[in-house]
Amino acid sequence: MNRESIDLLQGTLDVLILKTLAWQPMHGYAVTRWVRERTQGSIEIEDAPLYKALHRLERAGCVSAEWGLSENNRRARYYRLTATGRRRLKAEESEWRRYAAAVLRVLEPA
Amino acid sequence: MSVLTDLIIRARALLFRSREETELEDEVRFHIDRDVHERVRRGEVPDKARREALIAFGGVERYKERVRDARGTRPLEELAADIRYALRGLRRNPGFTATGILVLGIGIGATATVYSIVHSVIVADLPYPQSDRLVRVVEQNSATSIWALSTADVTAIRERQRVFEAWGEIQRTEVAYSGSGTPQHIVIGRASAGYFRAIGIPVARGRAIEPADEAQGAPPVMVVTDAFARRTLGGPDAALGRSLSLDGVSHTVVGVLPEGRDELGGIRAVAFPVLQLRAPTRRGPFWLRGVGRLKPDVTLAAAERDLAEISDALLPLWSDFRDSTARLTPQPLRDVVVGSAVKQVGLFAGAVALVLLLAIVNVATLVLVRASAREQELAVRVMLGAKRSRIARLIVTENLILTLSAALLGLGLATWGLDLAVAQLPDMPRIQNASLDWRVIMLGIGAAVLSGLLVSLSPVAALSDEGGLAPHAASRRTGTGQRTSAMRAAFVIAEFALAWPLLVGAGLLLNSFVRLQRVDPGFDPAGLVAVGLSLPAARYAGVADVLRFRELAGQRVAAMPGVESVGLTTQIPPDQSGGNDNFNLVHRPVPDGQAEPNSPWYYVSASYFSTLGIRIIEGRSFTPADTADEFPVIAVSRSWAEHYLPGESAVGRQLVQGGCYNCPRTTIVGVVEDIRNLGPSLPMDAVYGPMSQYGGRSMQVVARLRSMTPNVTARLRDELRALDPELPLDEFVLTEQLQASLADPMRWAAVLSAFAACAMGLAALGVFGLMAYAVRQRRREIGVRLALGAQSGVVTRLVVWRGMRYAAIGSAIGLGVTLLLANRLRTMLFDVSPTDVATFVGVGVLLLGSAFLASWIPGRRAARIRPIEAISSE
Repeated sequence: MNRESIDLLQGTLDVLILKTLAWQPMHGYAVTRWVRERTQGSIEIEDAPLYKALHRLERAGCVSAEWGLSENNRRARYYRLTATGRRRLKAEESEWRRYAAAVLRVLEPA
Repeated sequence: MSVLTDLIIRARALLFRSREETELEDEVRFHIDRDVHERVRRGEVPDKARREALIAFGGVERYKERVRDARGTRPLEELAADIRYALRGLRRNPGFTATGILVLGIGIGATATVYSIVHSVIVADLPYPQSDRLVRVVEQNSATSIWALSTADVTAIRERQRVFEAWGEIQRTEVAYSGSGTPQHIVIGRASAGYFRAIGIPVARGRAIEPADEAQGAPPVMVVTDAFARRTLGGPDAALGRSLSLDGVSHTVVGVLPEGRDELGGIRAVAFPVLQLRAPTRRGPFWLRGVGRLKPDVTLAAAERDLAEISDALLPLWSDFRDSTARLTPQPLRDVVVGSAVKQVGLFAGAVALVLLLAIVNVATLVLVRASAREQELAVRVMLGAKRSRIARLIVTENLILTLSAALLGLGLATWGLDLAVAQLPDMPRIQNASLDWRVIMLGIGAAVLSGLLVSLSPVAALSDEGGLAPHAASRRTGTGQRTSAMRAAFVIAEFALAWPLLVGAGLLLNSFVRLQRVDPGFDPAGLVAVGLSLPAARYAGVADVLRFRELAGQRVAAMPGVESVGLTTQIPPDQSGGNDNFNLVHRPVPDGQAEPNSPWYYVSASYFSTLGIRIIEGRSFTPADTADEFPVIAVSRSWAEHYLPGESAVGRQLVQGGCYNCPRTTIVGVVEDIRNLGPSLPMDAVYGPMSQYGGRSMQVVARLRSMTPNVTARLRDELRALDPELPLDEFVLTEQLQASLADPMRWAAVLSAFAACAMGLAALGVFGLMAYAVRQRRREIGVRLALGAQSGVVTRLVVWRGMRYAAIGSAIGLGVTLLLANRLRTMLFDVSPTDVATFVGVGVLLLGSAFLASWIPGRRAARIRPIEAISSE
């Protein structure tokens, strides 16, 4: 595993997944890859928690899943953001921004 | 999201489990394939890439479980999977499964049987309204000396008592009844009106006995049981108003008891005629059973005080009774009905608990051995990502299935065992009501669940053992925790410790039984037959009628071919009903205010002694001159003479009989040899009075035959019936009677022996299993030893020595426990000490011997191991 990768903070995973899926429907593997590339390898989502989170979000109605064909014609399960998911993403995103800003204000030299 | 959608998804997940499961697998496979693909593209070797991808995924199984968690149906799914898996595992090992279910099933079955009996005999309430308020009143002058009430007693209680809201008396007796067909004896309870009120059971039809029925000269009435009414009177409705002859006296049926009720206040009888008491003329005799219902707020202690006052008031009224220590004493009726059964049933409850415990320990050993054999499989599962807690649950599920099946088998066995017990123990009070009710079923299931958890303890503990299930154990066949083998050894030790008390108990009872059987009855029972009869007062009103019947009966039977001699007596040995009387020696009376001694008292003809072969030691037998007009005479047994007249000649001494101080004194004219009148284990004090001075109508005609022929009792009966065709007759063969008197000790010894045999078998099985397993596990090591030149004898000895060591440690513990417990058996033993050395040594030899054999067999197998095969097969 990438040595520079940082541990995922509690509660971060859901918002990352939702944001990633906001771009377009994807399968689980693509979500991992997307996050890795976007963060230049700093954040490495572990596979098992990813699927656990995906299924949890599906149950919460934030994402819907259906089987489709992948880039190289394999059967893959695609997750799509629902309206509920979009509202949830919005709420979580602003929450995160306020939270990160607050933390940064503490950390910045005065 | 709404609760409904959530539910739907959960339900769908549960219902379409397999489809979801495949989708999940597909999804995971896709993910891993993509990862592998990517890694290969980056230049990794395909094989390595796949392994890395798998590792990166963090255990496929573990992942799947997490997702299932998220789906929310996991607990149910897992339970179903555990059960499926457990059933498969149990089916794959039929030997293990059958042994476990059988061993525990027998344990639970025995426990359920005994506890059903305990409940019905000891615990259950008496079947009367507010039965805790019912007390029986007895005469008592010491802890062990308790007797019934007299007419004078009950008259005083009726007049003076202030503590009972109802009070009555009953007398259990047998009478001749000749309603239809052959005359027969039936058991009746003569009861007063108050007795019905006190017990509180209303009649189903007609009326109960009323106070007016008790008056002298009132027409005799009776209440009959529903069963008797159906059997002989054409049903409960037809029974009312019918007249029946009891001992020749006509009784009118006025009431029928509710269906199914065959007893009142612990007196089992087919009919309850009215009790009509005459005004007392003296304090004795004591023949009535008095029962009172306490007023709502009155305690037993208050009743005791009230009755004590009555006792004190009574004493000066009657000159014939001088025992100032005798008290009218109340006892809870329940204690009276249950009686000595508490002790016997308690013993078996204890014994059966030991058997159950042994069975559980045995199954625990089996489970542990099996768990060790499965270490590999479990280790692989852990490596594949299964959580330890999940495996623990799997083990528990499997064991619970095993033990619950055993409970099912056990409860089935118990219904059969209960029928057997009820048939075998007819004299046990209230045993007829014993049934497998919900309490016992819960007990059986509870025992199963508890033992399921108990036997799971050790393998689960082994699971959390760090070294026990580490993945590397999978590759090491001999890998086993020190801890589990220590546990197995502890189990085997416990089995031997538990077996000890059972084997010693059985040994002591058997020993005692053998001694009882060897007791010389004092006469030769072979060739002795007896016919019991009782002449109805209605047709044999005067003493002359009775005497004439006796004489004719004696002559007729003596004239029969094959009859050597014939005698008459009031009771044949072994005497179950116990004719007793009190007496006071004239030259050495008991001090004022003390109880007079009491002795078994029989009336016999002179020829009775010669017929049974009882030797006259001193003085004379009876003669025709000892008539009712002469002074009363008696002969006493050797034990009686030694007991009451030690060091002096009994012949010529005089006594006052039965507290009758204005009667003529009774003179001892002879001393006769002891016989076991009361049965083999009881004292041989006896007083014999001549039949010719006794006007009683009950008697036994005893005949000694030259040889027993099959229909001899029938011929004897015909001979007597020729004298009076209306007489109910009971025939006895004395050898059978003596055997029957040993039936109880034999049954107790048999039951405990069965338990003990189970215990020994289980203990031997335990040590055999342990040693066989040890040998199998150490096959390689033993092979190496043999290859290096170890003698096969040495190898065998090694195995046997280890098995014996466990047995010896267990035996040492068991011996200590048994010594502590043995004293409880004392009252059930005859002529054997509870710490009888021979019994203890015998048990030790038996148990260690069985342990030796049980470890010698695997020891021999160890010695036959072929070194090459053992080493190369690894």
